[in-house]
Amino acid sequence: MKARPIAAALAVLGYVVMLVPILFVVGGAFTAGSTLKFPPEGFSVRWFGEAVANESFSQALTSSLLLAVVSTALALAVGVPVALALHRGHIPGRSLLEGLFLSPLVIPELVIGLALYQQLMIGLKQTSFLALLVGHTVLLMPYAVRVTGASLALADQSLEEAARGLGSSPWHAFRTVTLPLLRPGVMSAGLLGFITSFNNVPLSLLLQSRDFGTLPVTMLDYIQQSYDPVIAAMSTLILAGTVVIAVIAERTVGFTKIFGGIN
Amino acid sequence: MTAASPTAAPSTASTTAAAAEFIDIRQTFGDFTAVDGLNLTVEQGKITTLLGPSGCGKTTTLRMLAGYTTPTSGTIRIAGEDATRLPPEKRNLGMVFQSYALFPHMTVADNVGFGLKLRRVPVEERRKRVADTLDLVGLGHLAGQRPKKLSGGQQQRVALARAIAIRPSLLLLDEPLSNLDARLRVQMRAEIRRIQAETGLTVVLVTHDQDEALEMSDAMVLMRAGRVMQSGSPAEVFPRPANRFVAEFLGYENFVERDGRLLTVRPEHLEISTGPATEGARLALPATVTRVAYRGVDRHIALTTQGTGDEPVPLIAALRADETGPDPRPGDQVTVVARPDRVVELAG
Repeated sequence: MKARPIAAALAVLGYVVMLVPILFVVGGAFTAGSTLKFPPEGFSVRWFGEAVANESFSQALTSSLLLAVVSTALALAVGVPVALALHRGHIPGRSLLEGLFLSPLVIPELVIGLALYQQLMIGLKQTSFLALLVGHTVLLMPYAVRVTGASLALADQSLEEAARGLGSSPWHAFRTVTLPLLRPGVMSAGLLGFITSFNNVPLSLLLQSRDFGTLPVTMLDYIQQSYDPVIAAMSTLILAGTVVIAVIAERTVGFTKIFGGIN
Repeated sequence: MTAASPTAAPSTASTTAAAAEFIDIRQTFGDFTAVDGLNLTVEQGKITTLLGPSGCGKTTTLRMLAGYTTPTSGTIRIAGEDATRLPPEKRNLGMVFQSYALFPHMTVADNVGFGLKLRRVPVEERRKRVADTLDLVGLGHLAGQRPKKLSGGQQQRVALARAIAIRPSLLLLDEPLSNLDARLRVQMRAEIRRIQAETGLTVVLVTHDQDEALEMSDAMVLMRAGRVMQSGSPAEVFPRPANRFVAEFLGYENFVERDGRLLTVRPEHLEISTGPATEGARLALPATVTRVAYRGVDRHIALTTQGTGDEPVPLIAALRADETGPDPRPGDQVTVVARPDRVVELAG
């Protein structure tokens, strides 16, 4: 094989850019000192104890998880049928409709957030959870529609016809043939949606309230007040949680299969 | 097999021998007319082939029979009953798709058993019928495999088994061999004939391959632009094409006008004579050799002759390569002859 020094150098640079900041955060979390510094001063896990014990963090984590799970479920509940209709149905104005469902990708989140703040929270006096739920669901819609649609495009339509010919009703054919083939796409859309919601700052920043704040926003607030290793410990815990999810996803369905829908 | 020409009156009698009938069928998609006034009877227990170039309406005809598309007008009868608007799941037809359409998330056995499960065949009997059907297509040993692991030819057999297992009233094959390599394709022709003979199934086959149609059909229906051009048994149609389209499709390459009539001869039936015209020959055309191509079994001699107009008419003669006889060279002036029984007169 021919050695490609430039490609290799770029790859190394890529890894460095992606991994080194993580290293700083993880390293900083294990410091024995009381300020966030790299290299860490000594080794201790006491900041992890403090992070776990921090009530505002654990409350925010619960809020974030709840919001991410429910908004992902809602986005899939709307997005999967929309993807089906866009790919299989003969509906007028198809591209317009698809554009509508993909538009949250290009509309600034602050605009969506402001609109929801004005209308739902001020105008209709709804809770910040409801406003955030609507906001996040809208935000995740493009993932649900696009990723599911991509896996749907791979599922040959004659499969459903074959099932019909063998005696399936339209619903039975959909349930036994199309849906199982859609599963990897729905899984990857769900995973992407969950991560997007969990990490979201702009919308959450605008729509939070004293009763309901998400973890990223709460952490942001915390950093502005005290710059100590608790925040690094919390970040490390989130990172660990993500890795665990990734490993489980790889073991059960396989990453290639989950993200197979995209490529 | 009796496929009336589009202009003939539709057959109204639904005889017992008809597995399916198309009566005055028209199918349009927007401005496009896919099938235009089709009248066709598919006979019980035979292989009927719909043959024609792409866009001739053969696949649309098959899809209407299967129930995947509803004709714009006309009636389709299956086993004497009006089935024009019956959904596919109520027709009990076995269809083999060009892409096979095997369920990728199921094993071979589950694919084949899919239709039986829907028919609530008890587990024990289902298992037996799946095994028997897989044995029939020679794949008993692959029951536990996923379709993706199989070769194209094996997938094709699974698709066939899945369609046969439900004991359909008709077996529909949409270009079933087009995705196989040439050798396998020839094998599968015989294989499908064998399975048809063993099961006694009525088969409707769609193909654009004339060799496939000639070898496999009891009855063939040549279609063009949504209309039937000619139909009959291969032995009836092949030597007596009714018109220029059918003749060209079946490999007739020489067309000459004589006394206002259009005549055609197959390349292998043209002979080249360096002397004067043979006694009794129907055609005796002075011609000039333009090109000679050696092709192993035969030599293709390209010639031109003077037509009725100013344009020279191209001719192709296929001479057996091992034949001793004339050895025409480009530029030679020769006489092209054909036996009277080899010359076919066309309607137009």
